[in-house]
Amino acid sequence: MSQPAAYVITRPRLAEWVGKLIGRAQVIAPRRAQGGDVAYDIVETPDQVAWDYSTSINPLKRFLFPQGDELLRWQRAGDDGLQLEPTYDETDRIFLAVRSCDLSGVLFLDRVFSREPEDVYYMTRRQHSTLISLTCSEPVEDCFCVCADAGPFLETGFDLQLTALSDDYLVEVGTEKGQELINQAEGLFAPAPDELIQARRDLEKEVEARFAEHKSYFAAALRKVTFDRVPDELWEEMADRCLECGGCSFVCPTCTCFLTADWQSEGEGHRDRLWDSCLYSCYTLEASGHNPRAQRRDRVKARFFHKLSYQFAKELETHGCVGCGRCIATCLGSNDMPTVTARIRRGAI
Amino acid sequence: MTTVERRFPEQRPDALFVPEMATIKGAANLTAQDRLFDIELPGGKNLGHKPGQFVEVSMYGFGEAPISVSSSPAQDGSFELCVRKLGGLTGKLHTLGEGDAVGIRGPFGNGFPMEDFEGTDCLIVAGGIGMAPLRSVVNTILADRDKYGRMMLLYGNRNPDDILFKDELKAWAEDDRNQILVTIDRPAEGWAGNVGVVTTLFEQIALDPSRRVVAAVVGPPVMYRFVYAELTMKHIPDDHIYFSLERRMKCGVGKCGHCQIEGKYVCIDGPVFTGAELGQFRESI
Repeated sequence: MSQPAAYVITRPRLAEWVGKLIGRAQVIAPRRAQGGDVAYDIVETPDQVAWDYSTSINPLKRFLFPQGDELLRWQRAGDDGLQLEPTYDETDRIFLAVRSCDLSGVLFLDRVFSREPEDVYYMTRRQHSTLISLTCSEPVEDCFCVCADAGPFLETGFDLQLTALSDDYLVEVGTEKGQELINQAEGLFAPAPDELIQARRDLEKEVEARFAEHKSYFAAALRKVTFDRVPDELWEEMADRCLECGGCSFVCPTCTCFLTADWQSEGEGHRDRLWDSCLYSCYTLEASGHNPRAQRRDRVKARFFHKLSYQFAKELETHGCVGCGRCIATCLGSNDMPTVTARIRRGAI
Repeated sequence: MTTVERRFPEQRPDALFVPEMATIKGAANLTAQDRLFDIELPGGKNLGHKPGQFVEVSMYGFGEAPISVSSSPAQDGSFELCVRKLGGLTGKLHTLGEGDAVGIRGPFGNGFPMEDFEGTDCLIVAGGIGMAPLRSVVNTILADRDKYGRMMLLYGNRNPDDILFKDELKAWAEDDRNQILVTIDRPAEGWAGNVGVVTTLFEQIALDPSRRVVAAVVGPPVMYRFVYAELTMKHIPDDHIYFSLERRMKCGVGKCGHCQIEGKYVCIDGPVFTGAELGQFRESI
């Protein structure tokens, strides 16, 4: 018997389900922090999930590719040298109520880290992860997922996709892993009636119209960056506004640059990888003292080249932006994606 | 234009960032700042590299650095690295000697396509420490001498004390199919040889117009533009010129992002690029 691709769950039962999930794996969901911000974080009880949130201040990156991630550790074994051991994180994680843009961000990370040779550290975490997304019905001031083709509703990529409809949540199944979760939650889900599926379709159309106002002009920017038709003065002007804080890289769901560092104490130590930012002046500094990107202008350019050029897009099958808008909130110099693409499109300041 | 082929070492799948424990079989100072290490992998197995490839050398507690392999793939049972003392890690490495352990990952990168050098006259241009990877090219040619045409080595240094592999340079010059030219940037006491930057050596070589010439160039970035101009004036086409680029690299496997140049990763798409490829990058040198 084939299984339906969509289910319905009532709000009270949703809490019960989340309780079950928490018993089975580490559940990461939007959670209200002090000061009213919402951040993806580990939840211990179902009522900690902020279902009504608009957006999280952080993407999911830090759970799959942590800011400080141990790669290997060693112990000195007498005079015979070292014993090395790679460290993998095999924690089972369920990411719950993730916004479409952030789920798209994870799909981008998948493409980066699954490229040959596969990054076993990331992929191990990813194999132990389940992604349950939550579609968006209200655009937030800063976001522009429609332009980035990363939301507000997703076609694929999720294990389960939830949509809030008046009294219930419609649950779409994306993968076998998602179906498995439904099967394990006996009695909580019912096959979705046709009118509910229609209601979700209607909502998607309505929402897309509402999201259409927010624009980032990727196509024009992609063309100009690819063919190097952006005037140097424009990069220069953007560089003047860049404080080299690295904030844009750290909040970006698709930024993956890292450096490695060793830590050592008596008889043992470990090697970690740490987030890096291509805007830092030492990012390309070589041992000889030569720095191919000594000028900030070149670093700003390199960042947007990586995000927008066809040269990188052809390898990763998409440009490097999911439209979450976190760079708008973070960058004090307004070197955020919509502003930069608009400037590039106009070719002037 | 030769297509870029990405090569990855065959390793255990879980070994991406886990070095192999290698042993230093021997070490000797070549100059005040350069030390040559002979390194053996577990069980004496060969590294299996191509000239121009590099390894990531681990000093646990100090980090990892990309170092190009200086020995020829023909060397059996061990490989050599020529390391210049420049920072914390290389400073620590310089204190090591026979019997000490280092971690090795690799080999990484594409290396020089030696099949392209076969049957042709080989023009090798080295600047300073750039001689280290080019020694691997030279020894590959010498190990199978008849497969290659003339070999011309132009080698520039700041001063006589910096010249690497002095004895080997002499030995290479004994074969008249090899032309070895060395220069130093400024006059120095006791130096009777050429004075001037490496491009001043080009007037001393005569290329046979009936023969194909392939060039390999490794040196400081400032050298490339000028050497490229000389090679072009000698009518060597762009896709017969191979440059090896230096970049800060952390991972060696195209993940960490540091060595990106406009869509390419120097660690996996390079470090060896043709003149034709470099011409497409604005930022390359």
